Amino acid sequence: MNTLVKLRYRFWPDKIFGELLQKSWMETAVPLLVLLAVIAFFSARIDTFISITSISDLLRQACELGFVVLGMSIVLIVGGIDLSVGSIYALSNLFALYCINVLGLGMPATVVATLVVGGLLGAVNGLLIGYFRMRAFLTTMVTLIVYKAANDMLNAKVAVQISANFPDAPAWDYLGAGTLLNVPVIVWIFGLVAIGGHVFLTRLRAGWHVLAIGGNRRSAYNTGLPVKRVVALSYAASGMFAAAGAIFYASRLASPGADTGKGLEIVVLTAAILGGIRLGGGKGSVMKALLGTLIVLLLTNGMLRMAMSAGASRVILATILLLAALLDIRWFKNRHKAVQELYVSPNYMELPPPQPTARDSGSPFALNDKLRDVETIGLGEVEAPEDVVLDSDNNLYCGNRHGDIVRFFAPDYKRHEVYAHIGGQPLGMAMCQDGTLLVCVGGMGLYRVNRDRSTEKVTDETNRSLLSIIDDSRLRLADDLDIAPDGRVFFSEATVRYEMHEWPTDSLEARGNGRIICYDPKTRKTTTVLRKLVFPNGIVMASDGQSLLFAESWACRISRYWFDGPQKGKVEVVINDLPGYPDNLNRASDGNYWLAIMGVRSPVFDLAMKRPAFRRRMSKKLPGDEWLAPNLNTGCIVKISEQGEVLDVLWDLGGENHPMITSMREHRGYLYIGGIHNNRIGRLRLADADAEFVDLKVSHA
Amino acid sequence: MLEFVADVMGGLLGRRRSSLSVPILDGAFRPNQLLEEADILLERPGLEDMAIAPDGSLVLAAGPEVLAYAQGAVHVLERYDSNITALTFLADGRRVVALGDRIVIEGRAGAIDAGAGRSFTAITALSVTSSGTLLVCDGSAHHSCDNWQYDLMTKGRSGRLVQLDPKSGKADLLQDGLAWASGAIEDGKGVLVCESWRHRLRRDGKRDATGELPGYPARITPTADGGFWLSLFAGRSQIVEFVLQEGSFRREMMETIDPRYWITPALSSGEDFMEPLQSGGVKHMGILKPWAPPRSYGLAVRLDANCNPLMSVHSRVGGKHHGIVTTLERETEVLALSKGSGRLLRMDLHHIRAASGVTEA
Repeated sequence: MNTLVKLRYRFWPDKIFGELLQKSWMETAVPLLVLLAVIAFFSARIDTFISITSISDLLRQACELGFVVLGMSIVLIVGGIDLSVGSIYALSNLFALYCINVLGLGMPATVVATLVVGGLLGAVNGLLIGYFRMRAFLTTMVTLIVYKAANDMLNAKVAVQISANFPDAPAWDYLGAGTLLNVPVIVWIFGLVAIGGHVFLTRLRAGWHVLAIGGNRRSAYNTGLPVKRVVALSYAASGMFAAAGAIFYASRLASPGADTGKGLEIVVLTAAILGGIRLGGGKGSVMKALLGTLIVLLLTNGMLRMAMSAGASRVILATILLLAALLDIRWFKNRHKAVQELYVSPNYMELPPPQPTARDSGSPFALNDKLRDVETIGLGEVEAPEDVVLDSDNNLYCGNRHGDIVRFFAPDYKRHEVYAHIGGQPLGMAMCQDGTLLVCVGGMGLYRVNRDRSTEKVTDETNRSLLSIIDDSRLRLADDLDIAPDGRVFFSEATVRYEMHEWPTDSLEARGNGRIICYDPKTRKTTTVLRKLVFPNGIVMASDGQSLLFAESWACRISRYWFDGPQKGKVEVVINDLPGYPDNLNRASDGNYWLAIMGVRSPVFDLAMKRPAFRRRMSKKLPGDEWLAPNLNTGCIVKISEQGEVLDVLWDLGGENHPMITSMREHRGYLYIGGIHNNRIGRLRLADADAEFVDLKVSHA
Repeated sequence: MLEFVADVMGGLLGRRRSSLSVPILDGAFRPNQLLEEADILLERPGLEDMAIAPDGSLVLAAGPEVLAYAQGAVHVLERYDSNITALTFLADGRRVVALGDRIVIEGRAGAIDAGAGRSFTAITALSVTSSGTLLVCDGSAHHSCDNWQYDLMTKGRSGRLVQLDPKSGKADLLQDGLAWASGAIEDGKGVLVCESWRHRLRRDGKRDATGELPGYPARITPTADGGFWLSLFAGRSQIVEFVLQEGSFRREMMETIDPRYWITPALSSGEDFMEPLQSGGVKHMGILKPWAPPRSYGLAVRLDANCNPLMSVHSRVGGKHHGIVTTLERETEVLALSKGSGRLLRMDLHHIRAASGVTEA
């Protein structure tokens, strides 16, 4: 039974669902799937639904419609709606035909004039809505009626004239019927416009303005964007796009029919919303508009081919519009919930039984109160000092959760100052002999604080792994470092799936989400050297200068990794049955290592680790404060040898004096203790330590 | 069948039993620290129950001993061969104690170890009716008083309420199928009984007398104005409700882990780091937040004659005075027995009223 569970969690990639949902391109994937489903459905029902002959005609229609949908999309993205596109389309069609057939203006002049007319018709909407602040829905409904009426009146006057003349304009006919490299001209032109639109929306400042105004009009206004102008222009653009569609329609059919553009607004709206363009504004892309257009067109064509009446197919289309709008609202309202529910994806982990901790167990971990005499430094003055370091003048440095590095002055550590401000929470730190401070900053990466207090980024990205869905090139949670003799900085990143403030959630997953990364100051390159580690936390160089010890918190183990020398690449477990969750590792004066245990294991939590489905349900059904957590209220400090023997354990029974320990640093006969949930730093006199020992690194960076 | 369908629907919609919500501490249950700040009259391990003798003196049960309490001092009145689990007095002043699975009545030869067709298993509370009979709460048919966590985790519903005539020893079954009966009292309208695992009071018969309570009710005692003090021995948390839905996890937990470290409510907590911890209970800046999900909690609530809650006294998460099992109102003082800390506590009734904004009756 357990083996099955293990296999299932080893090979079934639970985590990708939540990760996929987080991706913004997922929203385009849904209409793509709908499109494929529509094609599959009609292909099965209708022979030759997709054929070479039909496809060319289909593409022409699609592009005509596509222009109008693009215009509508811009208006939707900016947060409005344009119902008048159908009427503008009809008027532009009539105008273009009049220009070419009656006035004989020729292709270029006709095209330009029609685009201008369409733009002007749209600009009326824009003026009323953008500058006079009228409601988009009402305004465009009124212009829909007015333009429609105008079209009917003009049509009655000029239709006969248009039909009577047959212009000799090959360039014009080429627009409607010509092909280039066997592909209709309109497709080429539409393709160019679509690419231009994509670049506009995603790469150009003006496109970002459009998205920003749609996302939140007030904020956009407050940041100084020309809201009125952009809104007005979007309607003008919509009119112009409708005119563009109409030009191709006119040249293809040359028909001034009174029914032109009737009900087009419903088709276009359906296409835009099916494609995934938000009704509320602020979201949308050219790709979505394209997909929506194709879906709608295939649907209408398919229904036509299945001999459905026009009324029935319109009802179906309207129903689809309604459903799509409903889905749009529900999805955007609940998307974050879905992500939240699906993102946490626990894994199977069976830990070896912990070394006993009972007072009379005879175990090296037997409880004691050796930490009872810890003095406190900066009680209530420092918040969340994850790590502490000291310089050669005995001054003490620690991070806090406000993003500062705080310096406490020797000898009594009563005074303190903000030494440097970084912005992210400083975690593991290393002090170099020349006074340079290297800091792992949560959410930011590896930073350096120079002697003159200037801060500078050392690295914040590594190579992206090939098969990772989430972008793991950025450093999310770099948390401890050490420097190799040749100057390379090795640091651990606890997890690539969670941010600084949600790192405890990673404990529910117990998956190898973390890694060890190396920064080489010679080449200034950052590379990931070890992957799939379970919350790697502490890191310290071993005595041979060719390997390092690292701690994996949720796996309760210490391992050794050889990065150089004959055993290069080898990883060997040193201890795997710690009774708690290991954190930072640092050197001790006697050649051994100090290890912080930030929390202790509880039997129930260990059991939950073997039951991933239980944890997943827990994360779905319960609020975060109710989740089982590793017990971070009690910790201890352990001294281990390179071979993993436990030499000494310092407990604070009851945790009254010093709750929570994430790091410790030996310095001139004292041990300084930090804790990420603490409001103090501890200081403990070590009886038999080298009074001259300082933990300073050689910097090559 | 309908029940099953309703449960499945409820599961989809997040309602009914599939909902893991627990009542929030609000209204009459608004948290305070009155219990935590109460005067400590006595500290003695094993305190279990207390009662006021007809002569007005306070008598306590601690471990196997019955103690008389007066001015901060106690003396042993009687010592039994096993731990006392409930204590009361008959109208004529005779003392009645329960020793887990049997009842010993002063002046009556032999213990009563069975009634109404079944032997007693876990006698959790005793009280006397106006007609002189004893109301006996037998928590479960399977688990003894000390093993109450087993009964909760197996969703026990085998508790009984038995009426016992102290003279003849004749017993009548008033109600069975109770989810850990842990307190009963007779008032003008009949008999009220506490069902701990269903978090409510029930009238003898089928009706519930209260809605869901935010804790696990224990003994209930009368007040002079016809109301009651109800002790709640632990606070509810969603994780327990969740674990009660997780059958196989619960079974493995019960098989492999010491009950002290289960996910269950407890009478006291925070002493042992092997106890389960929830995210809200992780100390930040050296402080355990009082709103953290409670593993143990101190709570007693004053009900009026219609069982509507009026006011409550609390010892919140991080406090010591947890696991309140008996609360007594004597003139202007309120005495509470904290089994979790082994302490007898005293509060001033006027002070409780003032702090809760309840006007004098």
